[in-house]
Amino acid sequence: MQKYAMFMFSVLLVAALLVACAPPTPVAPEKVRVALILPSTIDDLAWSQSMYEGVKAVQAELGEDRMEVTVTENLWNPVDAAAAIRDFAEQGYHLIIAHGAQYQNSLFEIAPDFPDTSFAYGTSFKTGDNIFAYDPQAQEGGYLLGIIAGMMTKTNKIGVVGPVEAGDAVKYNYGFVQGVASVNPDAEVSVTYTGSFGDTAGAGEMAKTHMDNGADFLTGTAQQAVGAIQAAKERGVPWLGSDMDQSVVWPDTVMAAQVYNWKEVVRRMVDARVEGKKGGEHLSLSFANGRLSLHFNDRFNIPADVKAKVETTLQAIKDGSLVVPLPSE
Amino acid sequence: MATARPGIITSLEMCGIVKRFPGVLANDGVDFDVRAGEVHALLGENGAGKSTLMKILYGLYQPDAGEILLNGRPLNIASPAQAIRLGIGMIHQHFMLIPPLTVAENVIIGLPSSRRIFVDTDRAARRISELADAYGLQVDPRAFVWQLAVGEQQRVEIIKALYRGADLLILDEPTAVLTPQEVDELFATLRQMKQNGHALIFITHKLHEVMAISDRVTVLRDGRVVGRVATQDTDEAALARMMVGRDVIRTWEKPAITPGQVLLSVEDLEAQSDKGTPALKRVSLEVREGEIVGIAGVSGNGQRELAEAITGLRPVTGGRVIIADRDVTNCSPAEVLAAGLSFIPEGRMTMGVIKEFSVWENAILETHAQPPLARGMFLDFKRIADHTRRLIGDYEVKTPSQETPVKNLSGGNIQKLILARELSRAPKVLVAAQPTRGVDVGATEYIHRRLIEQRSQGTATLLISEDLDEIMALSDRIAVMYEGQIMGVVRGDEASPEQLGLLMAGVRS
Amino acid sequence: MINELLKEGALILILASGVRLATPYLFAALGEMIGQRSGVLNLGVDGTMMLSAFTAFYVTFASGSLALGVLVGVLTGGLMGLIMAVVSVTMRAEQGISGIGLHLFGLGMSNLLFRLSLGAISTVEGFRPLSVPILSDLPVIGAVFFRHNVLVYLAFVLVPVAWVVLFRTPLGLKIRAVGENPQAADTLGVSVTGIRYLCVIIGGMMSGLAGTYLSIGLNNMYVDNITNGMGWIAVALVYFGRWHPWGVLAGSLLFSVVNALQIWVQVRGIAIPYEFAVMMPYVLTIVALAFAVRRAQQPAALSKPYERAEA
Ligand SMILES: Nc1ncnc2c1ncn2[C@@H]1O[C@H](COP(=O)(O)OP(=O)(O)OP(=O)(O)O)[C@@H](O)[C@H]1O
Ligand SMILES: [Mg+2]
Repeated sequence: MQKYAMFMFSVLLVAALLVACAPPTPVAPEKVRVALILPSTIDDLAWSQSMYEGVKAVQAELGEDRMEVTVTENLWNPVDAAAAIRDFAEQGYHLIIAHGAQYQNSLFEIAPDFPDTSFAYGTSFKTGDNIFAYDPQAQEGGYLLGIIAGMMTKTNKIGVVGPVEAGDAVKYNYGFVQGVASVNPDAEVSVTYTGSFGDTAGAGEMAKTHMDNGADFLTGTAQQAVGAIQAAKERGVPWLGSDMDQSVVWPDTVMAAQVYNWKEVVRRMVDARVEGKKGGEHLSLSFANGRLSLHFNDRFNIPADVKAKVETTLQAIKDGSLVVPLPSE
Repeated sequence: MATARPGIITSLEMCGIVKRFPGVLANDGVDFDVRAGEVHALLGENGAGKSTLMKILYGLYQPDAGEILLNGRPLNIASPAQAIRLGIGMIHQHFMLIPPLTVAENVIIGLPSSRRIFVDTDRAARRISELADAYGLQVDPRAFVWQLAVGEQQRVEIIKALYRGADLLILDEPTAVLTPQEVDELFATLRQMKQNGHALIFITHKLHEVMAISDRVTVLRDGRVVGRVATQDTDEAALARMMVGRDVIRTWEKPAITPGQVLLSVEDLEAQSDKGTPALKRVSLEVREGEIVGIAGVSGNGQRELAEAITGLRPVTGGRVIIADRDVTNCSPAEVLAAGLSFIPEGRMTMGVIKEFSVWENAILETHAQPPLARGMFLDFKRIADHTRRLIGDYEVKTPSQETPVKNLSGGNIQKLILARELSRAPKVLVAAQPTRGVDVGATEYIHRRLIEQRSQGTATLLISEDLDEIMALSDRIAVMYEGQIMGVVRGDEASPEQLGLLMAGVRS
Repeated sequence: MINELLKEGALILILASGVRLATPYLFAALGEMIGQRSGVLNLGVDGTMMLSAFTAFYVTFASGSLALGVLVGVLTGGLMGLIMAVVSVTMRAEQGISGIGLHLFGLGMSNLLFRLSLGAISTVEGFRPLSVPILSDLPVIGAVFFRHNVLVYLAFVLVPVAWVVLFRTPLGLKIRAVGENPQAADTLGVSVTGIRYLCVIIGGMMSGLAGTYLSIGLNNMYVDNITNGMGWIAVALVYFGRWHPWGVLAGSLLFSVVNALQIWVQVRGIAIPYEFAVMMPYVLTIVALAFAVRRAQQPAALSKPYERAEA
């Protein structure tokens, strides 16, 4: 009896292995195979989820028969990610998106070995022959949201719960501070960092400390921000979001948000391959090119003058008459 | 209340006990019994199976065959917990104490408390004091065990058993680490217990102790009973013959040798104890070629620190150590060994061997990198096997095979293996710390003969021992240590136990 | 900065925040301490916390009952402890490796279950602060210690409870004996296996409480990798606390209060580089450890499997 069970078990095991190792079904030449490497998860309500949804949207547009998508999550560590990147390249994926600035070195090391494969990463502007770089102009949305906070704050205290002082968090925060200052020079913006992208508890505690200190508007970026949003919700303080519109989860807390439309970026990369371009493009996300947008939450009564001010500024940004400066390196 | 409940065990019999370990038949149909009010001594060579038999009685091992009868009723002892319930207590060959806990805590581990969910150390301390008074086991219940001297720890072990109401007490080599005074105190306790109706099983390698304390003697050899006699009908020589199967020489004629040049010289040596207190206070000493210098003293007076300071295991804070004209003060143990020293350490389980390693690996621990055992970078397994076989044969190490992990050897056989390894290197200087502690009479005889042979070959030997008989039998000169100092040096042939005893107690004549 | 700090308001704020932040560390480190006292090193704390954080959250989310959430979170932790005990005590596997395995299991399992069941971040109405009558009106102390939720109180109450159990009960004596010298405990009729199972399971339950606190007592939501490495810090705090409940309390509070302080310093816009600020809790804890009295107190049998035949 036991022997029989062992035998069945072995058979199952072998079958499972065969299935797992089976070569992918042959694809029609026009089917584009995309691999997505994410530092956190597809449901982080931030950086990773926004990109994931962008890729899925392109897939929906093209149809599943013309685009295949594989996602690997939680590869925050560039060393682990490098192994995955190389692996995907060897498996013949056409477009490998490593969604983070920290993957830059690995990509530039691996990409020359796979000249027919396209690689993409960001936030950055440094491209290679077969490497796309994308680059959200997060300072633009930061500036607009700063205007809302600056005009509406009653305590003149505003808190920013940042992750790590790097990448688009810095850009966003810099734009936000300037946006506040442009409409309310008396308001104090306190920019703080938890030191980690994933420290939700720390972000929550940081938000509480901001509120204890009198802040009546909060903002912040990266997946850790959800901890801060929840803390804001519990004390009824409004939140200004970035990357995604988190008002799906916190309808009474997220007043407005800057949204990354990754779909357009991914679509551009797919199309570029059709044109025969494997990389070399710097893909900026801005309000002017429609890859950034601003969402207002209708549940909030944002005064008309605030909305108007945001609208005119948005136009100025779009037509280039206002350039939100970036910190000089 | 002081005496537990003696009398409940009136007799205990073990019939036809068989116990196998991989490659060893440790007990081969052993019959053994003990009655209330007697001390039954269990004698036998190292590895004869004494500890194994007792562990079966205490429920630690299950026998492969045989029967245990308590008061005539057969029963099965499945665990120590059950043994304790039945009134059986055991003092193990290696202490089973927990140093960071207090005496009282050590005693009451595992017992339900009178205060239900809280421990009642006060009440325990009172009961311990009662037992201590009744049996002469003076010890402070509130002291931490790590603070206690070895003799006191032994008393704690006995109190642990008595506290649990042991009617039958097994003592597995309780005297191996005791000073003569402590042995006397222990015996007083045992006589008291005997009188109160306890049944006692007593294991030792010291025949005079058997004669002094026991009523009957059973001798084991190779897992079998080879003799059982009433103590009054026998003597030490007869017991030794029964154990070893031949006559045993117990006193030695040393060939007269004129000591040669100084091979080991220690000058104003200072070192600290583990606790950071001064352990050696300007100790000076010389050992010459062909000379055995004995270090006598009650344990804990700096002997261990002296051996470790000489061998490079303990930092020297002052003074010098010179081996064969080379200054090896604070050199690494490897350099000291290279200078021509061999060391038989006192804690044989922790320092002399690597417990998990096999016999052959332990046999070549120090010489494995040199020819003939190594060829270039590689070990020469054939030569190693030959070498190990020679050591095992020459020194009569009892082991199932060369591959057996050393931790499965009996204590005495581990000691013989270390001795074999160390002496096979033809050392210029030998430091031997307690070389025969826990070793049977046959092996002791053997080790003594080897030490004297080494002396004839010119080795300078520093012999550290608490066994005065051993010191007096072997040493050309005897130095007595007390509180980190040398109290005096006497010639071996002129020394008397009384004189040494006074020096050991710190009294300068 | 010092002047600002000394204002009562700031101090209360920082200390109260420190108390909240210390809670998960306290639960997890006390539990780990009990396991280590019995001689088992369980490195699966972080994974256990994650899995319990998830189960507690999910049950609360689905049932609306916080009590049920806590119960399930604790049971999950106990189950993880049981797995650890089977592998490391019964099967005598290398403890360091089994613990890391357990951690990875908790990590993967929590991600998977979250994906399968909820699939997106959601929130619950978690434990609300509960002012302790009278005590919460005490000046300073009241605001710092007595206006938290029940899980916070529970964590702090468990400190003296752990102390009493370890040092004042026969059970605690057995635990310490088994961790120091399992052979000796065995010869005294103490079941080494039984005690180790008990301690590792209790340790797991307390890691479970730590995770539960994160998801339904502090964050009031579940996100992947919710612990962000807290479980590892908790293991370190056991060493910091020298296997003593008060030491663990001191370590947890030191680490968390300094963390709260650096958050406050950042929020107040006091000009120090934020990198330095976020390092402060780690640096100060290490410094404190370096200056703490050195007396090795690690349970002598820590991480050593016990087998009687070796006796
Ligand atoms: N756990 C074990 N596994 C394998 N072999 C063992 C084990 N315990 C003991 N032995 C072997 O059984 C034999 C008897 O050992 P035991 O310890 O009973 O001897 P002993 O008479 O007490 O010797 P000593 O006087 O040296 O203490 C020895 O050959 C020993 O190597
Ligand atoms: Mg023995």
